[in-house]
Amino acid sequence: MKVINLKEKLKPYLLLSPILFILITIFVSGIIMGFIQSLGYFKAVGLTQFSLQYYKDVLGSKGFLSSLSFSLYTAFTSSIIAIVCGVLLSYAILQIKGKKEVVESLYRVPVIVPHIVSVLLIYNILSQSGLIPRIFYEAGLINDHSQFPSVLYEGNGVGIIMAYLWKEIPFVALTTYTILSKVSNKLSDVARNLGGNKRQVFFYVLLPLIAPSVFSSFIIIFAFSFGAYEVPLLLGPTQPKALSVQAFIQYSSPILANRPYAMVYNILITLIALILTGLYYKAFEKTYKYHR
Amino acid sequence: MKEKTKLVYKVIVGIFLCFLLLPLAVIFIWSFTKNWPWPKILPENFGLRGWLYFINPSSKSISTLIFSIFLSFTVTVITLGITIPAAKALALYRFKGKKLIELLIFAPIIVPTVTVAMGIHLQFIKIGLANTFLGVVLVQLIPCIPYSIRILKSVFELIGEDMELQAKVLGANSLQTFIYITFPILLPGVISAGSMAFIVSFSQYFLTFLIGGGKIVTFSMLMFPYIQSGDRMMGSVYSVVFILTTLTFLIIVEKLTNKFYKNKLKEHNYV
Repeated sequence: MKVINLKEKLKPYLLLSPILFILITIFVSGIIMGFIQSLGYFKAVGLTQFSLQYYKDVLGSKGFLSSLSFSLYTAFTSSIIAIVCGVLLSYAILQIKGKKEVVESLYRVPVIVPHIVSVLLIYNILSQSGLIPRIFYEAGLINDHSQFPSVLYEGNGVGIIMAYLWKEIPFVALTTYTILSKVSNKLSDVARNLGGNKRQVFFYVLLPLIAPSVFSSFIIIFAFSFGAYEVPLLLGPTQPKALSVQAFIQYSSPILANRPYAMVYNILITLIALILTGLYYKAFEKTYKYHR
Repeated sequence: MKEKTKLVYKVIVGIFLCFLLLPLAVIFIWSFTKNWPWPKILPENFGLRGWLYFINPSSKSISTLIFSIFLSFTVTVITLGITIPAAKALALYRFKGKKLIELLIFAPIIVPTVTVAMGIHLQFIKIGLANTFLGVVLVQLIPCIPYSIRILKSVFELIGEDMELQAKVLGANSLQTFIYITFPILLPGVISAGSMAFIVSFSQYFLTFLIGGGKIVTFSMLMFPYIQSGDRMMGSVYSVVFILTTLTFLIIVEKLTNKFYKNKLKEHNYV
């Protein structure tokens, strides 16, 4: 009997062992190795002294704060807009009566499209020789493409935000729509019967129901857009550069002794993403408790 | 009044669909374009130069595409192999350290994977995993794991353990239980987890670029320079191929499993 008990106790660990092996040998040790290198230990090029100098250099550099705020700004703005639009889109699809299989399959197409393609899409549409300036020209709103406001490669980050929105709105809508379509009819009918109007049903019945998954989608898209390289590299301005772009520039520098700087940026990105996620989580738990 | 609000929702959905689909239509047109000067709204001439270059064997596009599909398929199979048991453990068992393990499993969503790849790169070089197929597969597992677990765990939570227990009581061994009970019930979840893993792996660019070191060339890597240099026509050709490939893969998988599923159900009925 005792043997069986032990076997049962060990079973979950046994089931988890392959995934833990991969995560520990690659993911955890990757972070640890990055951390060690960020402290200036990089034996391959003869750096064997641990020091905080690299952190001091990066944190004290002129570009750091503007890079940090640019990364936070683009990630935060795109995620908030994506959440609002995604929920709105899923709710609107739900309200349409009749056959909507086509709509249901069409709106999710961007989920399978990689970010570098969404960059191309935004470039085609919004660059100064893109489709929108052409339409403006045809409509007589501008006389030359240089009159169209430059929105890509600019400090306002519009290009980056648009590229993220194109990918993230369907992602959020997909998550919420799945839940809404399951629960919506019955519960909304109950609430409507009890005298609630549409707005009340949405805010007091449906929103609390989708809140946990909306929240986790927010975390996913925020952390992704905060740390991702492709989009800010391709659509971002020369100044300020996103933190991730800074890391990549240092990493691909032919001077190997610069490697620790790349790692400092990486560790900072990781730390900030983790801290913010923790804070969001705390805030969410608090508001969610009050709602209940 | 009621008709009016319904119209509002239709308009909202219409605007969003335009925002999401119009850019895709534009790259489709661009891929067949010969000449599309400013300020024309439609191209002046159409041509097949991009597509001819794509099918020309010397561009290695098709062979890279096939290699990419094979790589992502490998990643998908391994991801499923390690996440199905893990998701089961997380959904159905209580054990010490569960919270910590869950945190670890979902951490790759928060920590950028390229960060991890830069950190592990040196070790991969030392043990000879850098610039190899295996190295790229291993590192691509990291971003796939949390998404797959997220889907599979909720499926396991939904179905519980009762069916498995019944099968065991009736005398089935573990393997039989898995093949005849767990797997068929899990299948829809496995399909969506696998599709997700395939999409995540197939879309990777920097991760493959870093660990593959230019030796392992995937389709995203062929596509990247065109997009970076703003070559709209070639970038569009590759993007269209990329999207069509993923769509085809997903549709085939869904069709195959539907077929398998129906046959299973038929058998089930006859018994």
